[in-house]
Amino acid sequence: MNAIETTGLNCRFRQLEAVHSLDLTVPAGSVYALLGPNGAGKSTTIKMLMNLLRPTGGSARVLGVDSLQLSPAEFSRIGYVAETIDLPEWMTVGQFLNYCRPFYKKWDVELEKTLLQKFDLPPARKIKHLSRGMRMKTLLLSVLAYRPDLLVLDEPFSGLDPVVRDDFIRGVLEVSSLGNWTVFVSSHDIEEVERLADWVGLIDQGKLKLAEKLDSLQQRFRRIEVTRTNGNASSPKKPVHWLGWEEAGTLTRFIETQYKSGETEKLCADIFPGAAINAQPLPLREIYLSLARGDSQKPSSALR
Amino acid sequence: MLPFSIEIRPGLPIAEQVLFAVKKAVVTGQMRPGDKFPSVRALSQELRINPNTAHKVVAQLVEEGVLVTTPAVGSVVAERALGDRRARAELLGPELERAIVEAKKLGLTAEDVQAAVAAHWRKLSDHTKP
Repeated sequence: MNAIETTGLNCRFRQLEAVHSLDLTVPAGSVYALLGPNGAGKSTTIKMLMNLLRPTGGSARVLGVDSLQLSPAEFSRIGYVAETIDLPEWMTVGQFLNYCRPFYKKWDVELEKTLLQKFDLPPARKIKHLSRGMRMKTLLLSVLAYRPDLLVLDEPFSGLDPVVRDDFIRGVLEVSSLGNWTVFVSSHDIEEVERLADWVGLIDQGKLKLAEKLDSLQQRFRRIEVTRTNGNASSPKKPVHWLGWEEAGTLTRFIETQYKSGETEKLCADIFPGAAINAQPLPLREIYLSLARGDSQKPSSALR
Repeated sequence: MLPFSIEIRPGLPIAEQVLFAVKKAVVTGQMRPGDKFPSVRALSQELRINPNTAHKVVAQLVEEGVLVTTPAVGSVVAERALGDRRARAELLGPELERAIVEAKKLGLTAEDVQAAVAAHWRKLSDHTKP
């Protein structure tokens, strides 16, 4: 079963089409990272999934239910941390948790205590006197304590210092139980995402550019360096799945998006006879950048 | 604390990096036969990695005979984990690959590299002799 499924999801604000015909599939049990630049439509997508925004076209299913039909029964299985941390300022942390608890049958008091301690949160302090990191942790605590099946996090790491960020990730992993626990996270923080995610979706200008398992993405991207023995830097006929072409002296560097061990080397040897070829794996950050850049010059078929 | 040392770097698949670190710890004696291996949960939390990845690592280590799983006890390092020399030599794979790539760039032959390895080996062995 899929935790989230959208078909042709659209969102238009007057002239601006924030999300364009989005087909997104988040398999149950995955940690799915939605990456994209500012204004790509990540938050808008999440708001539609949480039924906070009405799609202007298409539909979304969350935990098997149409997003427009989501009821308290589903919401008690979803933990949503929005990018704007709206909390009742006048309550203390303890009061806020007391307030949340009765809404959820599955609220785990032991887990609440453990997290309160791990997150180092002062229960007696008023929320308006908390720092950004503490507010974020308070909010996360209030959604983790009922062990949701689906955790939706909108830009959770932005503005958090490394210690808080680490606490945050530990907290998220604390409720993980293999198999039925799904996380859908939108983020800029590619390094964190690379550790946690097993699926990556790339969204830009409201369109999904890429949705793939992280391992297969890492398998097929390589930085290729070709050192030619003969000095002539003639521009050869290059396949469309080679991006970011650079040349200097006898060195040619580019990004292969369809790497297959052996085959790529053979293809390179055909194009550059006698040259030394070196293929290096790429960090997700580099993959992201090469796709973001490559897209402006190349046909989108290169992304597939 | 985890019984092996690892620093996860971006780029390579996480599972591969953890597998390598564990095997290295077993070969170097950081982890000995019978030692308890962390649970999937502990592994995922300590390394801040996806639980599915942690699960994959443990499953792979069991399949390769590095770990044995006993119900209710968890996983322990196997009695004859990575005992034979071939399994140990395989751990050199990534380093060898890098060296060979460099050698090819320099236009060296396999014989040149073997001679260089032998010379280097002798040099280091002389140093460690009392």
